[in-house]
Amino acid sequence: MKIIEVKNLEKIYGEGDARTTALDGVTFDIKKGEFVAIMGASGSGKSTLLHVLGFLDKHTGGEYYFEGKKIESYTEDDLAKLRNNKMGFVFQAFNLLPRTTVLENVKLPLLYSDIPESKWDALAMEAIDSVGLMHRINHEPSQLSGGEKQRVAIARALILNPSVIFADEPTGNLDSKSGQIVMQTLQRLHEDHGNTIILITHETYTAEHATRIIKLHDGKIASDEAVKHRLKATQFIK
Amino acid sequence: MILKYTLKTAITGLRTNKSRSILTVLGIVIGITAIMLIASLGKGAQNLILDQIQGMGSKTVIVLPGRQPKGASDSAQMFTDSLREKDFDSLSKKSNAPTISRIMPVVFGAETAVYGSETYRMTIFGASPMISEIFDLDVDKGEFFTDEDVKSLADVAVIGANIKDELFGSSDAIGQRVKIKNRTFRIVGTMPKKGQVSFFNFDDIAVIPYTTTQQYILGVKYYQRLIIQADSEANIKRTVRDVETTLRNNHDITDPEKDDFHIETQEDIASRLSVVTDVLTMFLIAVAAISLIVGGIGIMNIMLVSVTERTREIGLRKAVGATEKDVLFQFLLESVLLTGTGGAIGIALGAILSFLVALILSNVVGLSWEFVFPLSATLIGLFVSGMVGLVFGLYPAKQAARKSPMEALRYE
Repeated sequence: MKIIEVKNLEKIYGEGDARTTALDGVTFDIKKGEFVAIMGASGSGKSTLLHVLGFLDKHTGGEYYFEGKKIESYTEDDLAKLRNNKMGFVFQAFNLLPRTTVLENVKLPLLYSDIPESKWDALAMEAIDSVGLMHRINHEPSQLSGGEKQRVAIARALILNPSVIFADEPTGNLDSKSGQIVMQTLQRLHEDHGNTIILITHETYTAEHATRIIKLHDGKIASDEAVKHRLKATQFIK
Repeated sequence: MILKYTLKTAITGLRTNKSRSILTVLGIVIGITAIMLIASLGKGAQNLILDQIQGMGSKTVIVLPGRQPKGASDSAQMFTDSLREKDFDSLSKKSNAPTISRIMPVVFGAETAVYGSETYRMTIFGASPMISEIFDLDVDKGEFFTDEDVKSLADVAVIGANIKDELFGSSDAIGQRVKIKNRTFRIVGTMPKKGQVSFFNFDDIAVIPYTTTQQYILGVKYYQRLIIQADSEANIKRTVRDVETTLRNNHDITDPEKDDFHIETQEDIASRLSVVTDVLTMFLIAVAAISLIVGGIGIMNIMLVSVTERTREIGLRKAVGATEKDVLFQFLLESVLLTGTGGAIGIALGAILSFLVALILSNVVGLSWEFVFPLSATLIGLFVSGMVGLVFGLYPAKQAARKSPMEALRYE
């Protein structure tokens, strides 16, 4: 089943002299359960692609089908709803709310969902447990290490069991050890829970944890192939 | 989004920048405090004035010469001589006005009293002995003159406390003789300190039989006032009607438009004065309201700064599913909470301050001032401060809601 399908996707910023083409006719699809890494140098359009796929930005040309439906048929509120219960985001800069505990941070998507409040704590605990941070549940972000922060962000992305998890350079701000733990967490989600993951990175090493790599160059797809020798992030399992 | 969590978020947001929130809300606090203070003091002043007027008793009806003045400068008719002895006699007859229980002619003027080398400028109040009942006056020494004195144009006077102090000091005034307009008057009574009653300060007044005053001091044949008391408050309207009929009859007036007298009831005076104080209070409140607008602009300013600072948070919230409405609501709630808290503080502060002022006015200044808690101003204050938050928070909240999640997340 195709979760994401794009045809000739285009994204143009600005007008006149300032006109830049970030995506220049990108076509591919992603099936349920895939772990896709999108690679490319900075300026290749990989972040733009993630923003468009994650409904954080709008494309200017081509077609985008999410779960078989063209996204133009959704209203702004529909898109917010879809971001809420079908998508999870993990950002390079973590984007946790300061002065707010791990538990409350992970609960954030629930505030905008239809899930009754009585179930919030249990859901949040489950998500936090799955990233192995139960001992940090009442800590605030300032008391956590970079790797721990990113795992909180992953727990937040997981909480509503989304169809797709978007991870935008999740290891970019981390040392290699923390990065390994984060990648291991993502791999386990993919393998044990069958989550679909779209990972943006500029490092080949990180990309090779995925099952498929799409390389972008100047807004076009340079290559799109399966990973032959997949890396397993097992070294730092606690 | 559940209100409880939005509220929690708003409180966290405000507490994060505690000192900034406090400074921002100061404008609202001051504005609401001022409104409370003005409303409370305005009401207090009104009560004080009404109390003084009511000093004459609510059953009192006053007949004045000349038609009703049509404006502040319309005094042409005020000094006519239309009220005469004949009118007094007719109104004293039960057949003409059965509901009148007391009627007293009044003439007054300013004269100087001389006692030895001492002189004192005072008000002469020409009246009948009824004055003691109508104005609730009493003598602390001696006695009031009698109806007999009125009939015989006796040269007797009852003097107020200030006159007694100035002319006689601590020595006894009863039986002493003072010169007023080169006529010698015998002091028959002195009044204790009484202060202001209605428009007269009785401490500066010498009460003399009205007949004597007319004949020897003012040299007139008319009265300046006829002070009437109805037998009950319920009969005031009827009394007024009877007085009008009798006087028109006496003066051969058929068209009420051409009346050469007019009648004031205590109610008339009270309502006229209430209008004045109400207008003044409203005016002052309007001035204070300007500070609320200034405060509101301060709120808008700070909310805009806050929205910019929290761009990433807004982006994140949108990424995890917040709609524009959710974000709008969150920031609106924050500004309403801010101004609402300011309003509540202002109400408390205004109530405390006006209570203190009332305390000072009654205890130190010595006015019979009572603290009034302005309930309507409290409700208006809460409502207005909430509205200020809503109105001035709307623009920043809209800015927040409109942010594109991608742009917001990218913001450094």
